[in-house]
Amino acid sequence: MSVTSKSTIETKPRRASPGRWWMKPGHGSVSWLELALLVACIALVVAPVPHSYQDVINITLLWGGVALSWNIAGGYAGLISFGHAAFFGIGAYTSTILLVNYGVSPWLGLWLGGIFAAAFGITLALIGARLRGPFFILSTLAAAEVVRIGALNWTSLTGGAEGLWITPTKSIANMVFASRSAYVALVLGYAIIVYLVSKAIERSRYGLVLFAVRDDEDAASAAGVNPLTARTGAMGLSAFLTAIGGSLFAQYFQFLDPTYVISPELSFQFALLAALGGLGTAIGPALGAIVIMPLSELLRSYLGAAFQGLHLAIYGGFLVFVMLYLPGGIASALERSTGRSKETP
Amino acid sequence: MTTFGQLVFSGLLIGCIYALMSMGLTLIFGVLRIVNFAHGEFLMIAMYGAWAVTAFLGLNPYVAIVAVVPAMALFGVVVHQVVISPGVDKPHLVLVFATMGLSILMQNVALMFFSADLFDVPPMFDGQSVIIGPFFFKAELLLGFMIAVFCTISLRWTINSTYLGKAIRATVQDSEAAMLMGVPVPRIFMIAFASGSALVGLAACVMMPLFSVFPTVGLNFVLIAFVIVVLGGLGSIEGALLGGMCIGIVQSVSSYYIAPAYGQLFFFVLFLLVMIFRPEGLLGRKGESTVGIN
Repeated sequence: MSVTSKSTIETKPRRASPGRWWMKPGHGSVSWLELALLVACIALVVAPVPHSYQDVINITLLWGGVALSWNIAGGYAGLISFGHAAFFGIGAYTSTILLVNYGVSPWLGLWLGGIFAAAFGITLALIGARLRGPFFILSTLAAAEVVRIGALNWTSLTGGAEGLWITPTKSIANMVFASRSAYVALVLGYAIIVYLVSKAIERSRYGLVLFAVRDDEDAASAAGVNPLTARTGAMGLSAFLTAIGGSLFAQYFQFLDPTYVISPELSFQFALLAALGGLGTAIGPALGAIVIMPLSELLRSYLGAAFQGLHLAIYGGFLVFVMLYLPGGIASALERSTGRSKETP
Repeated sequence: MTTFGQLVFSGLLIGCIYALMSMGLTLIFGVLRIVNFAHGEFLMIAMYGAWAVTAFLGLNPYVAIVAVVPAMALFGVVVHQVVISPGVDKPHLVLVFATMGLSILMQNVALMFFSADLFDVPPMFDGQSVIIGPFFFKAELLLGFMIAVFCTISLRWTINSTYLGKAIRATVQDSEAAMLMGVPVPRIFMIAFASGSALVGLAACVMMPLFSVFPTVGLNFVLIAFVIVVLGGLGSIEGALLGGMCIGIVQSVSSYYIAPAYGQLFFFVLFLLVMIFRPEGLLGRKGESTVGIN
């Protein structure tokens, strides 16, 4: 019991919070910060940026979308998962196998991948229905390992360790575009949709149910909330959205192998971006990806050649620091640092 | 039948070595109630330590124990003071992610110093086997097995029969009441964390003659360790030994009869089954949050 009641980072009550004017959504509208981020992202998609930067923008937006999807389970419902790479991989492999072997368009395949992943996510939530705290985390890690080893050994379907290639025959139906801008626009669309879904959950009754289950499962169920439906729903939706991100990843990089796409490291990455940005809010994971991804790419390009591993060591140290001293992540730090002077009485 | 027996006994031996590697994890969880996600990286740096002592001083890795174990205990104290202690009163997520960050940090510092190459130590006993009845055992495995069993017994003895052990048990049962009775709880936490790290150091010296070391070696082993401690009951010392033996046997038998790759698959499936049907583990107490060393 004590594990659950301690299990969440303190999050402010949503509606009554004395937020900052530039982060605080008005009545059902978007905040200035969100609007500015949106304009900046659209500008980056439209502007003629060099290819290498477009890769960075693309991966930032994609990882942002996946971190937001992770946040639906991990941040809202308190189901900390270190196995989301399994959902990502299921999405990526489903759409790619359908495209390569059966000629099914990824525009259809991504939905199917999402449904498979959602089914798997719901199963996982049911398996872990009784598990709390670290036990749930470890079970997601183990489940993802089962998927990874399965994909590695089911060679006839997944190509095993050699991976799967999408041969680029450019057509919109195959979701293989001539220009990178088209991919970036697509991924931006994905990120925006996941963001809007997150916002919608935050404001809905269902969101309140999730927060209640996260903060105190026993109290929530005493108040008439069914924790099981809340948990399965959040995990299913989170898995579904993550899998769509996986399909988009496959279409952009046109190569898949289980050792990367379903690796525990990737699962950690999704969780860490959300945690660094700020769990349990929509803006948190988005900020996490927007701040961390370009920075880490930048560090890698400057330090990667001379000191192998240094940029990730910095990342690890930063993570330790943020978690210990700013457990609300970048979002809460921003709010705190600029908030004081601008607080309206 | 001899083959099967051989597989079971070899699995048992390697399983005990895995158990030794997991004992630090279960001890730390039992006392501090945190899962150290950097556990694998503790093992990794301790293995580098054992390798360095062997390579630069020309000592036997088993002799390296006298250097590596105190060094790891000291390292444990430092990590406890810098990372664990500031986060121990905060929501458990804080330390989940902080130890995760620590693991990324350690992995990449190792990468900077040692590159991604594999290091190993020369074989100890000229590859000789010990023959018991119809079975052959690698001498390193047998020695590791004995060290693991010895460790379990002495850890159990410490917890049951010493004053320190009594303080640890009091802390596990109710840290606030223990504090009121004059048990220095923060120091008990530090001692537990340092002992957990020292145990990892011991495990690393035992494992060095059997496995190669590289910066990401921890991930492979930490997944096994998680399975073992949950299987045995997170926080239970005998449980870790039992869990280790189960995993060792499952791995060795399924690798031989089916395929090495599926050995891993089996123990993760086993893990999920335990999570569904007996989440407190084989020897853990009912009600996960009350799991402790008892």
